[in-house]
Amino acid sequence: MKMLSLAIALSTVLSATLGANTAQANPARDAIVAAFAAQAKAENPSFAGFSAAAGNTLFNSTHSGGKPDTPSCTSCHGTTPFATGETRAGKVIEPMAVSKNPGRYTDTEKVDKWFFRNCRSVLGRECTAQEKGDYLTYMISQ
Amino acid sequence: MPDTEIKDHKVKVWDLPTRIFHWSLVALVMIGLITGFLSPEWWMGVHLWAGYGTVLLVIFRLVWGIFGSEYSRLETFTFTPREVIAHIREVFFLRPTHYIGHNPAGALMIFALIFILVGITLSGLLVLGGEENQGPLAGAANYQVGDLAAGIHSTLTVILMALIVFHVFGVFTEIRLSGENLIKSMIDGYKRVPDSIKPPTHRDARPLAAITAMTGFAMISGSLLWAFSTMPPSGLLKMTENEDFQTECGDCHEVYHPSLLPRASWTSMMASLDDHFGEDASLPPKTAIAITAYLSAHAAEEWDTEAANRFRNVSPEAPIQISATPYWVRKHNEVDADIFKRKGVGGKSHCKSCHQDAASGRFDDQNIKIPKE
Ligand code: HEC
Ligand code: HEC
Ligand code: HEC
Repeated sequence: MKMLSLAIALSTVLSATLGANTAQANPARDAIVAAFAAQAKAENPSFAGFSAAAGNTLFNSTHSGGKPDTPSCTSCHGTTPFATGETRAGKVIEPMAVSKNPGRYTDTEKVDKWFFRNCRSVLGRECTAQEKGDYLTYMISQ
Repeated sequence: MPDTEIKDHKVKVWDLPTRIFHWSLVALVMIGLITGFLSPEWWMGVHLWAGYGTVLLVIFRLVWGIFGSEYSRLETFTFTPREVIAHIREVFFLRPTHYIGHNPAGALMIFALIFILVGITLSGLLVLGGEENQGPLAGAANYQVGDLAAGIHSTLTVILMALIVFHVFGVFTEIRLSGENLIKSMIDGYKRVPDSIKPPTHRDARPLAAITAMTGFAMISGSLLWAFSTMPPSGLLKMTENEDFQTECGDCHEVYHPSLLPRASWTSMMASLDDHFGEDASLPPKTAIAITAYLSAHAAEEWDTEAANRFRNVSPEAPIQISATPYWVRKHNEVDADIFKRKGVGGKSHCKSCHQDAASGRFDDQNIKIPKE
């Protein structure tokens, strides 16, 4: 827990100092985020952009409603966006932060597939476009 | 000195090749028995070499039985049933006639041992080819033949062990009755023979003829086996890799070989990916259909490997889990639970950590290597 709060503090400080413009530009990834934004707007007329802080919360919190073995995104992904994680079956998962792993979130099908699976495993439901966009914004800022 | 004492003299009975044959056979049969019964299966390589060595020794002994020196020749210890019965009766009354070479009971034992050893090695080759898809008969023998041969192989082995006990018992009986140390004779080659017995005229060995015959025999049987071994192993499908399967089913764990579960298990697994071992592993319908078709076409029913034959029988409680099948549980019974917890292993489902050939679906005994930590 100490590690986790430290990591959260650290990442908040980092994103605060560097600001959101450190976003690593990549046309494919930008298109994915844009598509979620359009979808979010359609779902919710008062949509006011994505929030890295909300993405941080989604990633790091413990949820209920999903499958008992996977209460959090960090159950499989590392405890920080920069750490490697491990699937329940023991395979290494490379870090989720874009700065650490520039190939992340560049394939629509892959992103859709994993959001579909992982949100249902962790939250017991599909994520909203808002949540997906928040998560991506957070990881892009990292 | 009382004149009842029997005077005797030393006679060279067993020539060097026969003695070497005898003790090498003892060693190889011991190795074969130990590696077959006691050792873990990854000693199978040693077991196989003991088997091949035994075949060579037996072939040699038969050749030497024709071209060896006097007492090594089969004809000198081929007795009629009547002679054998007479001899046994004499032993029973503790007054056996003295034989310089093998006595009739011993000779019978030698033929029985050789006969059984031929049966054991041949059935062993069939098990190897049929069940394990290895060795020269991998193409000629299917799993059923191998399974049948496995039964014969172990029955003959039990008979062999009984014969060995009888053989040793017979040797000690004769030592007691004749006072002749037969074990020493089989080491230095000499026996003490009473002066009253006149040895037959000694025929020398014909090593050149023996070598020629041995080479000829080895070449004929070798090329026969080689011809068999050029047949492709039976029951292994030529499988083109399916990209969807390799990537989608390799995301969270190693890619399991399609031959490790029957069709019904794969179909039901693919229909319930939203709850796959406590996790959501859903796929877009198009991909799921393609992978289901691929798995069905290459399921356990389509293969004739040992693993595929065995894993067709799944656990009723967990029909989609390979590591819950009765065969899997039985085979890994002796693997300590702590071993599966080692970092280098990672759990029961990590077949690849211990089975270096897991990706091919073969699971050969020789390719098991347990990570040390
Ligand atoms: C049961 C384990 C597990 C859990 C829990 C989990 N993930 Fe994942 N996730 C994976 C695996 C495995 C991958 C694919 C690994 C890779 O691409 O290196 C993945 C990939 C992803 C991807 C796609 C990455 C890319 O490169 O496109 C996203 C997005 C993602 N996860 C989001 C989440 C979110 C959000 C949560 C929490 C709600 C979560 N995951 C929880 C196992 C998990
Ligand atoms: C989202 C992650 C994930 C994906 C994708 C996935 N699996 Fe699994 N699979 C698991 C987990 C977790 C287990 C349980 C492993 C354990 O207990 O260590 C498992 C177990 C298995 C087992 C049983 C292993 C055993 O111990 O006998 C089989 C077979 C299997 N998966 C096949 C597949 C196939 C086929 C696919 C592709 C359609 C697939 N899996 C895709 C997570 C996944
Ligand atoms: C900890 C290492 C380890 C893991 C992990 C493991 N095995 Fe094994 N396996 C063994 C050992 C050791 C044996 C030999 C046991 C014996 O016969 O004494 C064996 C035997 C077998 C055999 C029989 C081989 C034969 O010809 O007799 C099969 C088939 C097999 N394993 C399949 C699997 C599958 C499938 C998996 C994964 C689901 C798996 N194993 C995981 C160690 C392992």
